[in-house]
Amino acid sequence: MQPVSSPPTRPGGLVAAFLASLLILFIAGPVLRLLLDATPTSLAGAARDPELRASILLTVLTATAATGLALLLGVPLAWFLVRARFPGRRLVAGLIELPVVIPHPVAGIALLLFLGRRSAVGGVLANAGLEFVSHVPGIVAGMLFVSAPILVSGAREAFHGVDPRLERVARSLGDSGFQAFRSVTLPLAGRGILAAALLSWARAVSEFGSIVILTYNPKVASILIYDRFTLYGLEAAVPAAVVLLLVAVAVFLLVRLLQRGHETA
Amino acid sequence: MIRLEQLTVPAGAFTLHNVSLEIPEGAYTLVIGPTGSGKTTLLEAIAGHVPVRDGRVFLRGVDVTHLPPEQRGVGFVYQQYHLFPHLRVRDNIRYGLRHGTQSPAEQDARVESLAGMLGIEALLDRGVGRLSGGEQQRVALARALAPRPSILLLDEPFAAVDPSMRHLLRRELRTLHEREGTTTLQVTHDFDDALRLGDQVAVLSEGRIAQAGPPDQVFRFPNSPFVARFIGAGTVLAGVLERSQAGTEGDPFAARFQSGALSLEVIASHEGPAHAVIRPEDILLSRDPFPGTPRNRFPARITRVERTGALAYVHLDAGVQLVAVITSATADEMQPAVGEVLHAALKATAVHLV
Repeated sequence: MQPVSSPPTRPGGLVAAFLASLLILFIAGPVLRLLLDATPTSLAGAARDPELRASILLTVLTATAATGLALLLGVPLAWFLVRARFPGRRLVAGLIELPVVIPHPVAGIALLLFLGRRSAVGGVLANAGLEFVSHVPGIVAGMLFVSAPILVSGAREAFHGVDPRLERVARSLGDSGFQAFRSVTLPLAGRGILAAALLSWARAVSEFGSIVILTYNPKVASILIYDRFTLYGLEAAVPAAVVLLLVAVAVFLLVRLLQRGHETA
Repeated sequence: MIRLEQLTVPAGAFTLHNVSLEIPEGAYTLVIGPTGSGKTTLLEAIAGHVPVRDGRVFLRGVDVTHLPPEQRGVGFVYQQYHLFPHLRVRDNIRYGLRHGTQSPAEQDARVESLAGMLGIEALLDRGVGRLSGGEQQRVALARALAPRPSILLLDEPFAAVDPSMRHLLRRELRTLHEREGTTTLQVTHDFDDALRLGDQVAVLSEGRIAQAGPPDQVFRFPNSPFVARFIGAGTVLAGVLERSQAGTEGDPFAARFQSGALSLEVIASHEGPAHAVIRPEDILLSRDPFPGTPRNRFPARITRVERTGALAYVHLDAGVQLVAVITSATADEMQPAVGEVLHAALKATAVHLV
């Protein structure tokens, strides 16, 4: 049994507890307030709204595509950053975290300049049939840009938790590098990578700033909420906001469950 | 057979330098050295887990320097065993059999046979999370031996078990080695392992082999003060040698070794600065003066008596600090007391000069 420490009783402890509770209230208050609107009536109303349904479906699909791409490209990158020693490793590690500090509309403008029809890359891709601006791939690109760092960071942490000597033992037992990765590293890091993927997905779902610049239409849920709020007011935006919030809470609980399982494993 | 030719291996800030070593087929060899001397790096270089900068690794007569680990046919047991935590004991042991040509039934038989040999049959269907250190070690050994490697590398296999388990595992390891006939290289920091297990021993110091040979030979004739001190061969005294008798050039000669206030008659092969290794068992102690032949006789005051079961170590001040050993039975009879001055004697031939 874990020892339970007694609550702080000194004046300093009480002040710290008061300040901490203010922040907790600041975060929990708005979330709980919005959740209060998640009544069966409001959810049923949201379910009958075809535009909202289409928007949620689009958000889920594009976020899933972005997370799939982040997994495909980010897991090998995370593995390289943890296991390999190569020139510029720190630079690459820093670069992949850059989107975290870039304001998202700025990310949207950067992506527009890079993937727009008039850019070299965007031009080639458009000629190949892959249009980004005002098309669904633009949504995926915006989501990928902001969510990939979360996945890479989580996967790096997961790989850090796997002792490289386990892989070496597997190699001495006849595994190739890839077999050792598949049979030892991935199963052991899998839970951490899955948690990172869920967080990355949730981040993709909530993305607004870059998508509003790249692809305003078709509308993902975050843009639809903004659209309805600016056009029709708060009441019109709440049902969509409630649905998005429930999705976010579900993902959050799932991630906590995975992390808890990992700690007790 | 393992042959290392002038192996140089960088490992972070540390480098193994020009390590040459030959381990005959079927031999049990120990590499001993202090923490940070490069023991684990040496094993990892043989197994192919760290890149070699220079030199060659030959296993079974084949140059494997540039082969990946999976093509070297080497079993490896790390100090912390590194069992696969997501697999049961049975699947850990079976892991290396997946790449062989054995049928599932043959694989089962091999797993059961090794588990029987190591007394872990009851653990086969357990997870590895709750195994004791000794159980983990047995599972790790079974896993490494399952594919029948011709070479087994052991990284401090007794470091994580208690002393009683250590004795038992040491005996089991030797029996297993005799039964499987695997060429075994074990690293340890304990010379006792070398004396009890090894056909030969190599002492590693700061990335270099300081001395190699049969354990008894290394123990009796350490070639440097470092080796003598590290393996606990006896008291190491720094001093100066002076020829005391004319003789033929190149032959050993009678000399006087002066270290602090202690002067000893010795047999030397050179003059000048030297170190003398004096084994505790070579110092004779008595309350009465020694009659007869010992050339070196000197008074020594007892500073401490340390009993370790069957033996008692008597720490002495004879102008320099020395340690003698007597049996506990002798100690009971003699009752040496701290502060008491005894007569000590030492044969000239018992002083090993390095």
